[in-house]
Amino acid sequence: MSAGAYIAVSAVLFALGTVGVLARRSPLVMLMSIELMWGAAGLAFLTFARQWGSMSGHVAAFMIVIVAAAEAAIGLALIVLLFRDRRHVDVDDLRLLRG
Amino acid sequence: MQSTWYLGLIPGLPLAGALILALKRNTWPKPRLALAASTMVGGSFIATLVALVRWMQLPGEGYRALELSLWQWGLAGERTISLGLLGDGLSLWFSVVVTGVGLLIHIFSAAYMEDDPSYGRYFAELNYFIFAMSLLVLSDSFLGVLLGWAQVGLASYLLIGFWHRTPEAQGAANKAFLINMGGEAGIILGLAGIFAAFGSFRFADVFPQVASTPEAVLTVIGLLLLIGAAAKSAQLPLHTWLPDAMQGPTPVSALIHAATMVTAGVYLVSRAYPIYQGSAAAMQAVALVGAASALYGALAAVGQTDIKRVLAYSTMSQVGYMMLSAGVGAYQAALFHFLTHAFFKALLFLAAGMVIHHLGGEQDIRRMGGLGKKLPFPYAAFLVGALALAGAPPLAGFFSKDEILVDLLITGHRTYWILGLAVAALTAFYMFRLVCLVFTGPGSEGVERVDEAQEDQRMAGPVAILSLLSIAAGWIAIPGRTDLPGRFLRGFFQHYPGVAPALPAVVVDPSEAKSATMMAAIAVAAVGAAIGVWLYGPRRSPKAAQPGPLAAFLAEGFYLDALYRGTVVPLAHGLARLGAQFLEPSVIDGAVNGLAGLVRSAAAGTRDVHTGYVRRYALGIVVGTIAVLVYMAML
Repeated sequence: MSAGAYIAVSAVLFALGTVGVLARRSPLVMLMSIELMWGAAGLAFLTFARQWGSMSGHVAAFMIVIVAAAEAAIGLALIVLLFRDRRHVDVDDLRLLRG
Repeated sequence: MQSTWYLGLIPGLPLAGALILALKRNTWPKPRLALAASTMVGGSFIATLVALVRWMQLPGEGYRALELSLWQWGLAGERTISLGLLGDGLSLWFSVVVTGVGLLIHIFSAAYMEDDPSYGRYFAELNYFIFAMSLLVLSDSFLGVLLGWAQVGLASYLLIGFWHRTPEAQGAANKAFLINMGGEAGIILGLAGIFAAFGSFRFADVFPQVASTPEAVLTVIGLLLLIGAAAKSAQLPLHTWLPDAMQGPTPVSALIHAATMVTAGVYLVSRAYPIYQGSAAAMQAVALVGAASALYGALAAVGQTDIKRVLAYSTMSQVGYMMLSAGVGAYQAALFHFLTHAFFKALLFLAAGMVIHHLGGEQDIRRMGGLGKKLPFPYAAFLVGALALAGAPPLAGFFSKDEILVDLLITGHRTYWILGLAVAALTAFYMFRLVCLVFTGPGSEGVERVDEAQEDQRMAGPVAILSLLSIAAGWIAIPGRTDLPGRFLRGFFQHYPGVAPALPAVVVDPSEAKSATMMAAIAVAAVGAAIGVWLYGPRRSPKAAQPGPLAAFLAEGFYLDALYRGTVVPLAHGLARLGAQFLEPSVIDGAVNGLAGLVRSAAAGTRDVHTGYVRRYALGIVVGTIAVLVYMAML
């Protein structure tokens, strides 16, 4: 298959993730959407790495996996603490930084 | 090169003493405090003597100096600014007096201040003064002189205001500090001029360049330095702090406001002599200030009714003598007079202190009288001091005053010579007025409060030593026989080639001038003393000491102080009020508050962006990213 198809899949995944982050109010779902965006970015890197025969893209994809894992760990820990604190969590209720 | 570490001990030991005493002032017992303070100054004195011996052992005939460098600063780019100690004839000459008289006064104070609760603070401040003064005279650069200069001002302020619970002492301390700050402004400007003209503060760098410097530059520098010298040495018109400074303890008056600190101006002019020699105008200004102060101080001393204020105006007058002498180029005579004056004026103050101590703090000579029988030792000491000050041969003051007068005459300053003789007559007059009013005549009823047991042997020791010095110190420079000042000082005053010689052209035949001056000086002093004894002696009329209109004019120092209080003080207050009521609230606060208001209004405009909705922030990131991408795509 051509690279264009992979990039198309990557773009669709990225758009889905973006919409998820912007539209959903549950922090857990937002976190999952962010993971979707990570996946899209990784796929794009791999696609271009194959196309140009370069190792750089592979390295970047590995980096993404690692950072995404770390981010998920911290994000989940935050979400668990939030649930413990207030049972029902809606990110729109977390407005302490309002100016 | 031999190590010269002992030079560092001269200011170092009193500094250490001041720090230790400041920490232990409330915990150590009084004898230990006094012992520690005296030991430190004694060590400093011994270090001075060691330096003196080493200096005399230096090879060569002309100018010789011990040097000890302390710091190197590279603050001004290529030019390094260094700080070091210099032991040459001039600085050791001063250092001997500062530490030697300082030691005697420490010993005297141990007994004199015994009843004071702030005993430790007193000695800490006194030690600090010795440190500052020896730093002033031993520094090898103008910058070091300034450091010492400012710190003796601080020590003087602290000690004048030692009894800080009395408003008079506070006022006197503030006055002394403020006037000397004004003087220091002159010195700082002068130093700026020196650095601009010569590129260094070190004496050894500055003075060799003087010969090739335009006279106008030297005049400006010399006059600026003179402002500081006049303030510190209580010369016209910056003298009004000195009589008030008598609010401090009497040993402090003896050490700081008679023997050492007030002669710092003479030191500065002598040290910077190549600069002054290069500028006729600056020299004339120094001589004029000195002559005016000598006459003014002597006249004002005649009218005083406070024993210490008589001596204060007398100090001003005698320092004026030294300045006048320096102003005609006779530095060596000025410095010789500094030495003898330090001894006999310190003696007079300490003897006066014993009288005041005996009377439980009374200082008004109108309420004294007939104390000679009750206080034979202070009477004898005071008489020695008075005779030395009046110039009676063969006491110390005779030789030094004579040398100044001779130098005035042989350099052709006949007006100043006559003025000097007039001051000498006035000096003899006011000193014998003082002696007679205090020690002779009818008794002082109801004033004496302290019993005889208070006569303290420990006070007598330093007074006896100073009496001997007041008698004998002149013998180091008997014309034609001994010449100790010359051995110490001549090398420095002949060291810089191209600079005009320190004692300019001889106009009058020296031997003729000497005999004429000696006769005239003895005659006028005798006449002055005789009039003093005749008017105020044992058979004086009871109202002799009561002030008439002329006496009031003299007592108030020609109302110069009142004049300043009527002009300078309201002006300063007005400026302060302008600052407090206009400058501070509208300009300074306005700038600060305006800036704060600007930030606040800018914040009010942007705070709405921060809604606190996480998802809106996320939208912002997405929109921003898209905007950047679109922008990059368009490039």
